[in-house]
Amino acid sequence: MRYFKNLVKPYIAWTAVMIVIPIFMMLLYSITNSGNSLVNIQFTFENFKRFTEPVYLSVFIKSIKLGLITVVICLVLGYALAYIISQFKESTQGVLILLVTIPMWINMLLRTYAWISLLSDNGIINAFLDKLGIGPIKMMYTDFAVMIGQICDFLPFMIIPIHTSLSKMDKSYVEAAYDLGANPVQTFFKVVFKLSIPGVLNGIIMVFLLSISTFVIPKLLGGGQYVLIGNLIESQFVSVGDWNFGSALSIVLAGIILFAIKWMKKIDTGEN
Amino acid sequence: MLVRRIASLSKGLYVLLCFAFFYTPIFVTMIFSFNSSKSLTKFTGFSLRWYTQLIENSEIMSAVWVSVSVAALATAISTVLGTITAIGLSKSRKIIKEWLTNINNIPIMNPEIVTAIGLMLLFSAMKFEKGYLTMLLAHISFCTPYVITSVYPKVRGLDVNIANAAMDLGATPFQALTKVIVPMIKPGITAGMLLAFTMSFDDFVISYFVSGNGVMNISMIVYNMTKRTNPTINALSTIVIVVIFVAVLVVNVIPKLKNKKGRKINEKNI
Amino acid sequence: MKKIFSFAVCILAAAVLVGCGGEKTTLKVYNAGEYIDTTLLSDFENENNCNVVYETFDSNESMYTKVMSGEKYDIIIPSDYMIERLAKEGFLQEIDKNKISNYGEITDNLLSQPFDAENKYSVPYFWGSVGILYDSTKVSEEDLEDGWEILKNLKYKEDIYMYDSERDSFMIALKALGFSLNTHDKAELDKAYEWLIEQKEIVNPIYVGDEVIDSMISGNMAMAIVYSGDAAYIMSENPDMRYFEPSQGTNLWIDGMVIMKDSENTDLAHKFIDFMTRPENAMVNSEMVGYSSPVKPVFEELKETVYSEIEAYVPRQNGDKDEFFRYQDAETKKYCAELWTKVKAQ
Repeated sequence: MRYFKNLVKPYIAWTAVMIVIPIFMMLLYSITNSGNSLVNIQFTFENFKRFTEPVYLSVFIKSIKLGLITVVICLVLGYALAYIISQFKESTQGVLILLVTIPMWINMLLRTYAWISLLSDNGIINAFLDKLGIGPIKMMYTDFAVMIGQICDFLPFMIIPIHTSLSKMDKSYVEAAYDLGANPVQTFFKVVFKLSIPGVLNGIIMVFLLSISTFVIPKLLGGGQYVLIGNLIESQFVSVGDWNFGSALSIVLAGIILFAIKWMKKIDTGEN
Repeated sequence: MLVRRIASLSKGLYVLLCFAFFYTPIFVTMIFSFNSSKSLTKFTGFSLRWYTQLIENSEIMSAVWVSVSVAALATAISTVLGTITAIGLSKSRKIIKEWLTNINNIPIMNPEIVTAIGLMLLFSAMKFEKGYLTMLLAHISFCTPYVITSVYPKVRGLDVNIANAAMDLGATPFQALTKVIVPMIKPGITAGMLLAFTMSFDDFVISYFVSGNGVMNISMIVYNMTKRTNPTINALSTIVIVVIFVAVLVVNVIPKLKNKKGRKINEKNI
Repeated sequence: MKKIFSFAVCILAAAVLVGCGGEKTTLKVYNAGEYIDTTLLSDFENENNCNVVYETFDSNESMYTKVMSGEKYDIIIPSDYMIERLAKEGFLQEIDKNKISNYGEITDNLLSQPFDAENKYSVPYFWGSVGILYDSTKVSEEDLEDGWEILKNLKYKEDIYMYDSERDSFMIALKALGFSLNTHDKAELDKAYEWLIEQKEIVNPIYVGDEVIDSMISGNMAMAIVYSGDAAYIMSENPDMRYFEPSQGTNLWIDGMVIMKDSENTDLAHKFIDFMTRPENAMVNSEMVGYSSPVKPVFEELKETVYSEIEAYVPRQNGDKDEFFRYQDAETKKYCAELWTKVKAQ
């Protein structure tokens, strides 16, 4: 088997170029202010300092807040669905989980685009409300539209890991709890939920990661003034052209995610 | 009895509502792709007009081609690269193992936009002309980690002696690899391959930053077209949805049918 | 595994074949979105047996960023001030006017403007102004007397589209405050910034790009900031809409075709400019997108026929407070970009 040791070498070279160097480049950009050419580099912490200005801080706070709200809503809706699904017979479970996964396969942009035609001022929902005699409600370009888009796109990422850990669970624990005189509510919180925590944490990480860094959904459903971290980074690279500040923001974002993951892992090991 | 009924009814209703939430936008898109007018709210009559326009639109068709070919190539390359790496990794020294798995996790943990910007900075520093090749390289780069994470656990669970035995019996290392090891870790490879294909086919953020010179995939073209009402996107959407739906069904149903057959044969033999 | 390999090889072979696709020369054109009748591109391809790679941008700033990042094009169609910047920074090559057969028909007062005083680098593509498009059933004429300040009128809260572009938004604030839209004075820019922030707090406008076109055709909002050409198009689809240029002055602009210095198909690039300025093509283009044509006979004809009822097709030409954008020095540019990021993020 030692022959196979060398098989790892091509990928080591690959990661060096495609993963490690890009990170160093981003770090380099974030601590310099030379514009887009690397000719006369000047080191500076200006880019990180700028990030602490109230405007940018509030963008971060808004993004984290929105991310957390998305996580909570997805957790409640997703847990309920995963739990109900896990009580069906195994073959039905397979079909239902398949139905949850299919939307994930369909292009995220196509799904977001579909919401535009539903939510717009002269869209289908408003046409329907109009028939009921309820005046048109502005939904496009509001928090509501962005939330709907995010939940619809990210909910499956919550359902699947939770369902996986629920279906792996040994049913005899539940029976044992009942035998010992626990009521359904107690059984659920003390046994079922506890045992599904690894799945829940996985789901939380996935949804939080996706919702905090997206820039497409807020841009399409929230309008140009709906700025989250992702939009801020995108505009630095695409329209403003300040790659240094953009790199610094990216690094801060990556840091937040890393911190969140570490924290979740700590909870996970603490629980067990 | 009644309480139980209500409980199960409301459960069913909840499942139904959730699926309605997932599928309404999809169905609406599909229905309005057959609309005879440009309206996205009033169905004025059945027509295939948007499908003809779609086929005649060379920009969209080339985007479809880019999406499909990049996804196929990136899947093929990252599956091979990921599989051999996973096999090699299990035989490497502990320090390499730790380092490489950590680095390999970076693209998985990092927000897409951060990965995208890193790659963009890399390509522009290397003076690479942005386009098909940069997009392909980027896709291989973010697909391979997923292949490795789904193949590696299978390799670790492998019995080392089997490959050794094959080589003792005169197989070359390459034969041992392709004839013995790969078949044993096939489920992991298939899972990784599927994951890589979806990741690549779905990707917007990374392609958006690393591509250029008019090379666009489906996501990018949809992003550009969302600004105007354009039912051709609905037509495109419908085709993508139907193809994916059929593909997912085939992938999930065929193994089950095979299993049933296998079981039947087994039963007969008994 | 074998299957995967052979599949990959097939795909690769096909990709190579498509990539080379004959020996046609390729012309790369970079234009603003929704700004051409695309049938013209295929006509041009057929006429010259070439390929046109057509890309679009959503603002001059994002175009500039892309060019700075090393992307190569043959033809770009930026606005006046961006032409000036690209020329000053050495991105453009001189255009040989002898190769543009219809150059003589271009409206005189669109030529020799300060951004390209000797007409060395650009040939006008479209021109127009920036103004307020409003729904005459929702907006009262009285309120319009406030000029740009109507954009801060509480009556129209959440009923206004702004244009998602840095210079256009600052232009509005600067003009509303009575400053020049080319100011370098940071104090004035700060005031403009405050104006925009205040507007955000009062009416909470939505910043959009080309989405504004369909949305205003269906009458979703009471007011929108638009370019005169988009206004003309929207008004031809929705007769309730009117176009209004505030008396405090606005931005007049000329978008021009330029040839990039590193273009390898200079000949074909000239042919493209020649093609677009030919009366029959200019006619098709202007009629389709609604922007005012720089080709005099085309403009005169459309003004009398298709767009006879639509005032936006004929932008104000003698307003003494109207200005063209000029080149901003790097420091002002950076300062504005930073303020703009803050306006949106607020």
